[in-house]
Order: sequence, then C-alpha cells, then structure tokens
Amino acid sequence: MSADSYLAPLAPELILLIGAGVVLLAGLMQSGRRGPWVSMLALLVVLLAFVTALRQSVPDGQAAVLGLWLTPLTFYTRCIALGIGALIVLINWYQPVTEERGEYMAMILLSLLGVLLTASANDLVVLFFAIELVSIPTYVLIALSQTDQRASEASVKYFFLGAMAAAVLAYGLSFLYGVAGTTTIHTVTEGVATSTLPSGPDIGGLALVGVLLVFGGLAFKVAAVPFHVYAPDVYEGAASPVTGMLGFVPKLAGFIALIKIFSACNWDLPVVVWWIIWIVAAATMTAGNVLALLQRNVKRMLAYSSIAHTGYMLIAILVGPVAGQGPMHDGVTALLFYIAIYGAMNLGAFALLTAFRSQGRPVETLEDIAGLAVRAPLATLAFAICVFSLMGFPPTAGFLGKVYIFSSAFSLDQPHPFHGPLIALAIIGVVNSAIAAAYYLRIVSAAYIGAEVDWPVRTGGIPVRLGLALCAIPMLIVFVWPAGLAGEAQSAAALVNRSIQPQSTQVTSLAGQEGREAIPTGFNAQDRPQSESHPPGDSTGSKTQH
Amino acid sequence: MAQILDMPLFNLADSWALTLVIFAPLVGMVLLWLPPPGDDKGIRRSALFASLVTLALTVLVVFQFYSFEPAVRQSRAYAFTCHVPWIAGTAGDSATIDIAYRLGVDGISIWLLALTAFLMPLAIWGSFSGIRTRVREYYSLMLLLEVGLLGVFCALDVLLFYVFFEFTLVPLFFLIGIWGGSERRRAANKFFIYTLAGSVLTFAGVVYLAYYSFTVLGTATLSIERLIQAAQAGHIAPAVQWWLFLAFAAGFAIKVPLFPVHTWLPLAHTEAPTAGSVILAGVLLKLGTYGFCRLSIPMLPNASFELAPVVAVLAVIGIIYAALAAWVQKDVKKLVAYSSVSHLGFCMLGLFSLKVIGVTGGVVYMINHGLSTGALFLIVGCIYERYHTRNIHEIGGLARQMPWMAFFLIFFTLSSVGLPGLNGFVGEFLVLLGTATSKATSDLRAAGPLGYGYVIPAATGIILSAVYMLWMCQRVLFGPLKEPANTPDTSTGLTKDLTRREISILVPIALACVFIGVYPKPMLDTFKVAIERNVLRDVLPAERVTAETSGLSIPADATQDTQSGEGSPAEPDDGVPAQPADPPRDSAVLASLTDLDTTGGPKHER
Repeated sequence: MSADSYLAPLAPELILLIGAGVVLLAGLMQSGRRGPWVSMLALLVVLLAFVTALRQSVPDGQAAVLGLWLTPLTFYTRCIALGIGALIVLINWYQPVTEERGEYMAMILLSLLGVLLTASANDLVVLFFAIELVSIPTYVLIALSQTDQRASEASVKYFFLGAMAAAVLAYGLSFLYGVAGTTTIHTVTEGVATSTLPSGPDIGGLALVGVLLVFGGLAFKVAAVPFHVYAPDVYEGAASPVTGMLGFVPKLAGFIALIKIFSACNWDLPVVVWWIIWIVAAATMTAGNVLALLQRNVKRMLAYSSIAHTGYMLIAILVGPVAGQGPMHDGVTALLFYIAIYGAMNLGAFALLTAFRSQGRPVETLEDIAGLAVRAPLATLAFAICVFSLMGFPPTAGFLGKVYIFSSAFSLDQPHPFHGPLIALAIIGVVNSAIAAAYYLRIVSAAYIGAEVDWPVRTGGIPVRLGLALCAIPMLIVFVWPAGLAGEAQSAAALVNRSIQPQSTQVTSLAGQEGREAIPTGFNAQDRPQSESHPPGDSTGSKTQH
Repeated sequence: MAQILDMPLFNLADSWALTLVIFAPLVGMVLLWLPPPGDDKGIRRSALFASLVTLALTVLVVFQFYSFEPAVRQSRAYAFTCHVPWIAGTAGDSATIDIAYRLGVDGISIWLLALTAFLMPLAIWGSFSGIRTRVREYYSLMLLLEVGLLGVFCALDVLLFYVFFEFTLVPLFFLIGIWGGSERRRAANKFFIYTLAGSVLTFAGVVYLAYYSFTVLGTATLSIERLIQAAQAGHIAPAVQWWLFLAFAAGFAIKVPLFPVHTWLPLAHTEAPTAGSVILAGVLLKLGTYGFCRLSIPMLPNASFELAPVVAVLAVIGIIYAALAAWVQKDVKKLVAYSSVSHLGFCMLGLFSLKVIGVTGGVVYMINHGLSTGALFLIVGCIYERYHTRNIHEIGGLARQMPWMAFFLIFFTLSSVGLPGLNGFVGEFLVLLGTATSKATSDLRAAGPLGYGYVIPAATGIILSAVYMLWMCQRVLFGPLKEPANTPDTSTGLTKDLTRREISILVPIALACVFIGVYPKPMLDTFKVAIERNVLRDVLPAERVTAETSGLSIPADATQDTQSGEGSPAEPDDGVPAQPADPPRDSAVLASLTDLDTTGGPKHER
C-alpha cells in the first residue's frame, strides 16, 4: 500500500490538522487587528473537512491502518462532529475578547480532530491519545475565553480533574491490555470472540477492574455522577460559547469511546459493571435535574441539564446494541441519534447567552434574560425551540430523541434478567424529564413572561445569530423527517452490532472469561421473538467450553 | 350542495383535506406578520380571517363527511385517511417500525373538530377588546393552539396523537403566562408542570405500546386502527392492559380533570385570559376524555372494563365535590371552572358505562360542555372587562344594566344545568340512562360495569349544579344594583351592555345549543356508528366471544351483523322502556333515541 491509500481516507483529519496550523499562523500574522477573518478561516477549514467527510464513501470496515479503523461509526461521528463543529466556530466567532484568536480557533480545531480520531481509533493507546487530544485544548480554551478569574479557576480545576481522569483511564486501559494481550481494539474483539486469549484464573477480576476504571475515566468526560462535580463550576467559569462546546465535544468523544470499549467486551458486561452503570445513570439524571432546579444562573442550570442528558444517554449504553430491530430498539442507534440532536440543541441554548450582554457582561442569570422576547423575538424563538427540545417536547427533535432512548430501554424481552431494571430506569427517565421541564420552563418563561429588568444589548453579530438559527431549525426538520439522521445512526451502529454478533454459539465474552461471578446476561439480545430464538445467556455456552 | 361537494378539490380531499384543515391556522399565522407593527386592528382581523378560513374548510369537510352515503360511511372506519411514514425502520425486508403521520376522522372526531373550529374564531373575536399588549404574539399563539387541538382530533397514530396532545400545552402556557391575571406565572407553571407530569407517564406508556406491538405483531406499530384490531383479537395481554391503562390514565385524567388531580384547573381558569378559558374549557379538557374514548377504551378493553368502577367512583366524587366547591366560590370564573370539573365527571361516567347509549351521552356531553361553558366564560369575561372584578359580592343586579348579558347568562346557565330543549339535557339524559342500564344484559351484550348505584349521586350532582348556577345568576343579575366604584369601565370602547360584537359572538353558540337540544339526531347518528365501530367494538366480554367465534379476519362489519341479526333487541331498547317518567319536553330526544336504533338498521340488514 502506498502512502496515498493510507492517507486518503484520513483526509478530514488531515485537513483539520493542517488547518489548525494555518489558523494558528494566521492569528500570529494579524496581531494588532482583530478582524473576523481568522474565524472565517477556521470556519472554512471545518466546512472543508465536513464536505470531505461527507463525500467519502461510507467505509465498510476496511482493515485497520495506523491504529485506526474506519467504520460507519467513524463516518457518522465525523459528520456530526464537523457539522456541529462548524456551528461551534460560528458561535465562537467573536471569541475570545483578547487577541489570541488564532490560538483559540486552532484549539477548537484540534479538539474536533481529537473527536475524529476517537471515532476511528482501533488501538487502546490511540484511543487514549485521541481522548486527551479532545480535552487538552479545552483547558486552554477555557482559560482564553474570559479574562476574569473565574475562567482561570475553571481552567485549572478542569485541568487537574481532567488529568486525574486521564490517569484513571490510562490505568484502566492498561488492565484491558493485560487481559487481552494486545492493544488493538479490533483484535481484542476478535480475540474475545474466538477465545484465543490467554486465560488464567485472575483474568476475570482484572478485566472487571479494567472496564470499571475505563468507565470511571470516561464518566468524567461525559460528566456522569459522581464525576460530575466539576461541570457546574467549569461551565459557569468559561465563556458561554466555550461552555456550549464543552457540553458536547468531550461528551461525544466519551460516548464514542464507551461504545468502542464495550463493543470490545462484546457488550456482555459483567453484572457488577452493568449495575454500577445502572446506578450511575439513575443518579446522573436525577442529580442533574434536581440540582438544576435550584439554580438561578442559566449557565449553571444548563450545566446541570447537560449532566442530566448524560444520564439519559447512559440508558442507551446499558441497552447496548440490539441488532436488526430498527432504530427504536437499538441502544447504540438511539445514543448516536440523541447525541447529535443534543449537541445542536445544547449549543443553541448557549448561543443565545453569547448573543446578548446585560450590564456590561454576557447574559447569565434568569434576570438577565427576562423579557428578552419583546426585544429580540426571533432569537428568543430559536432559543425557545432549543430549550423545548432539551425538555424533550414535541414538535422538536429532542422529543424524538427521547422516544428513541426510552423505547430502546423497553427492548429487552421478558425473560431477560435486565428487562425489569431497564424499564424501571426508563420510568426514572421519564419522571426526570418532567422534573426537567420545571427548570427549562423557568428559562423560557423568564424570556417570554418576565418583566424586563435591563434590556440586554445585542452583541453577537450575524455569525452568532446564524449559529443560533442553524441550531434551532434542524430541531424542527429532524422532528418532521427523522428518517435521515436515524438511518445514518442505524448504519453507524450496524457494524458495532455486527462485530459483536459473530456466529451465535461460539460467542464468548469477557464475562464468560471471568467464570462464576459473571451471570450470563445474554446482552446481545438474540432472544428476540423475531430473530432466530436463542437461549438467554450466550455465555452459558462459553462456560461449558472452558 | 351536492354539486359543491363534488367539486374536484374535495374529491381529492380524501387524503389531504385534514392536513389542510389542521395546518390552515399555521399558514394563517403568516398573515399576522403582514400588517405593520402597531396595526393592532389589522392583526386582529387577519387572525379572525385565518380562523374563519379554517372554519370554512372544516365545514366543507363536515359536509363532505355527511355527503357520504351511510353505507359508504360505515364501510370504512375512518374518513379522509392519510398515511405518510414518519418513523420507520426495517430489518431486512420487513418493516419493524411503523409510526406514521396518520390522519382520519370518524363520527366522533368530526364533531369535536367542528367544535374546535367553531369556537376558535369566536374566542379570537372575543379577545378584540381584552388584549391590548403583544397583540401579534397573542393571536399567533391562539392559531398555534388551534393547530394542536385540530391535530389531536384527527390523529390516528398514537405517537402523533401524543405529539399534538402535548403540543397544546405550549401555546396555552404562554397565553396564560403572558396575558393572564395577577398570578399568571404561577398558574401557567402549575398548569404546564402538572399536566406534563401526568403525560410523561403516558409517554412511557406510548413507548411501551410501540415495543409491545412489536412483540405481538412483529411491527412496532402505533396505528390506532391496527392496535384496536390487535386488542380485538386478544393480542394485548390483560396485565399489559392494566399497566397501559394506568399510564394513559395518568395523562388523560389530569387533563379531564378527574377528581383527585383536578387542582390545576381552577387556578389556570381564573388566571387565563377570557379566550384562553374558553378554549381551555371548551376544547382542551376534551382532549382527556377524547383520549379515553379513542385510545384507552377500545385498545384496552379488559382493563377498561375492570377499572371502570374505579374511574366511575372518582367521577362521581368529582361531580359532587366540585359542585359543592363551586357553590362556595366568590369568584364567578372559579365557580364556572369548578362546574367544569363537575360536568366532566358526567362525561367520564358516560364513557365508562361502556354501553353505546352512555358513551354517546359522554361524547354529546363533550360537545355541549364546550359550547355552554365556553359561552359562560365569554360572558364572565364581558363582565370582568366592564367591572374589573369577578367577585360575586361586589356585583349585583346587573340585569337592569345589561339586559342582553342577563339573557345570555341565564340562557347558558340553563343550557349548562340541562334544561330540556337545550343541549345540556341531551347529554345528561343519555349519560344517566347509559349508566343506569349499563348492567343490563342481552344474550349478546354482556353486562356493563356500572349501574344504578352511580346514577343516584350523579343525579344529585345535577340538582346541585342547578342550585349553584342559578344562585350565581340570581346574585349577579337580580336584587339591588351593586357596582364597584368607577364602573362600568367603557374606556376601551365598550358599551354598558354587551356590544354588537359580543352579541354576535354569543348568538351562534346559543343557536348551536338550541339546535343540538332540539334536533340532535344527525350528531347522534354519526356518534352511534363511530362508537359501535371504533370504541366499543370489543369492550364487553360477550362481544369478544362473538368476535372470536366468527373468526378474527372478518371484515369490520361482520361482528355487528351477527349481533344484530340474532339479537334484535340491541341494548338501546333495553334502556328505553326502563327510563322513568319522561318530561314532556324531551320527545325530540326520545325520537332521536329510537332513531339511534333505526338508523343503525340499514347497516345491520346489509
């Protein structure tokens, strides 16, 4: 293979990488003047990468190169990361207030590059690097975004905790390496499937520790309880447009990584891990929503709301892939569908906070946005659409996202041991969305019903408002026509599903390796009435093999 | 008329007529942005025009519905059906998900559609003098609300139903929150959160239903028609029915509102602007009862049958409790609001008698309540605009000041308490009759769940309602004149008595009340057909036996045929002789009752 055939599929990544350098240099060259053209350049880079990614044929899981493996999941993640990345650039158009716009934009591009690499990583080490590539630029971004102390504090806090999480993640990955004897995720999966792994008495426990640690490290990235405590402070400290990005980019990377790690474990999670994630999901959405109720600061509120959304998405992670049942019955599809919508709607909410200033600072509290609807009806309408979407209210895409997530939770059949717990979790989820409505409603009602205290002055120019509009309009479009996005999400999830569904009875699993302590879960859900009936608990077979 | 209906436009209309009707107000919203800002008059007129166009379209649809020969109407369950895939999924070649934009109307929903389209222009017209701020937003939201309401009554897909059902909350939230009274924010929030809290459980139910239909039918369908068929074939397990019934009831009962969960309603009503109250009482509350009637009863027959006594007891408690509560209200609007709770209790009682007569009564009650209570709220609004108070103790003897208002207030009070000859009577009578005869069996229809035990307290409720409504009238209209200082306020162009605009708003409603009171037959006919076919097809156990013995894939009419062929005393006949001495005025109703059978005749013979 020539260098060409290695590099051509990686064109979007390369464009981002080179673009980041160019933007950095461009920023240096124009010091003194703060024209918008650095932002323009960054936008062009992202759009170019986006178009390139779209034009590439959907990879069908060719052989891995350079520790990367291009799958439909890569394609999907690239598209949503770059699509929403363009919106992020639009909303950050006039950021930062200081003159380091070149560095700033370059950091956004590098962070996006990290997401792209996460999506194609096929090696535990590459995965780790990719995830850190997502996070490290965000530390810089937070510090650059505002000149006040809060931003520095947020940046330092995020950095230390992030470093800690990275250490935990690396530690966990090293355990997985120890178990599998290889760092190639692809091979880990295949190895597990064909049970060629070196097996010994301790390995089950090691794998358990590894999976738990990895989950812990990634839980930080996606802001799940109990690793969520940094989120409100950091989100509040950073400037609104950065916060909009923080709510989405690390989360996307974290969930993609979770999908990869869990599919390396054949989604047949040890029961202990499964229950831990169950508890984390329930606690995350409840804590996020309840704590958000107590806030007056919209940014903090949205920070807690983003924690709550992590909880909803964890439901889908628990369901995992249920192959062949269409988008509504597959956890991974639901997750991929939801996270794309979530990215846009969350960003839209922060775009409004970027677009207005009150009392000489960006709007932040409920009082600041009181009565905004009279002053800026269209921007507030777009904002309201995004907030109703976050609420999961029809007619917005957020509603369909909830439909997908919750219906995936209902998809395990009666005899399945997790049938009941998942339904319970879905009920906790819908009750939570009612709680969430209370504070989202407070935001909307402040903007529409509240009496104006101080008329905010519009700051964000056309790019910010365009970004806000482009966040809101797709909410309606996707609601009316979900098939497009859902279809893409489904095909992205397909390979995840296929890779964990080798020829039935030979399926073994990490759980199977662990021997007694792992109750067979039959997580691959082949015990559907439609698919060829398969006794719940694939690992039962594998145990007898060992 | 027939020629007009045969115009090409409305032959095509078979599939997209309803879409046109539903989204006409949305198109109308564009009109609101044509007049320059500040031109309130232009905006108001555009809004009225948009809602009138919607009404015109609805009327055309209703006429076309009626222009179908009864035989044609009965050969299909729903008219004007359309089907556009929305959420679809496939596994291999077979469709695994079938959730679609499905619309269609039957005899029940066509009238509720008409009610909505009829009340909306009146509500909009009624707001001309009351709404002075943010006019454009106000009328936009009214039209948006109309979209949601029309959509609910046309939806034939459970998820689509839920979408419209939920969506109505948003415009009403803003209508109450922005243009409401002094406690508007609290009222709007309570209204929204309270109803949402119930309907998220409904949402869980809907999602579970999609999954369950996947396990039993192989396709996650939410088509109401297919799910009813599945229920008929006994595919929905009783335990599942229970859970689904509870989940649906959580949303619907709050909307109705049924007794223990009615507390949001008085506050929302008192704080809402007049038009908001009109639509809230007139149409929005019907979404709950309509949900029971369209989804819960036909899809979950076993659970409905078993839980009917519970619902009925709650309904009866609500009837009495809300009547007593209304009695002691000082605020006229709150009094009317509590009377709504009481009246909706009747509606629920009728629906859960699970007999054709009772359900017909319940549905008629929905329409009647929409007309009378809507009008009462309009009148209270007229009083409030002039006197800036709704306190019974502060106003009195208004009959001399406002003779027109007095006439209408008494008229609609009588209609609301069920004076024979006006609309309220028809519904009340049918509900009580249906409840009383619910237990009656014939060889083919099993006993219904309710009986005389429920009629007695409910009838007490009627007496109570007469007491508090008439008492309110007496105190507001008669006796020595009492007016707060500096009133009536005519600064906004109002006259002392009702203006011509206000009279023209009330007259059509009054005419509709008289029409339904005197000649309910056209309505009852369509109700009967729709109820037998789309609601009660398979609710009572004996019928289910019939359906099963005659095979599962029989054409939709077959069950009805066998029944009427063998057991000519269909159950309305059981009821009619049983009724107590009839007041002489209700001959029209009686005629219509007997018609209820004879109109079914041609169908049975076919």
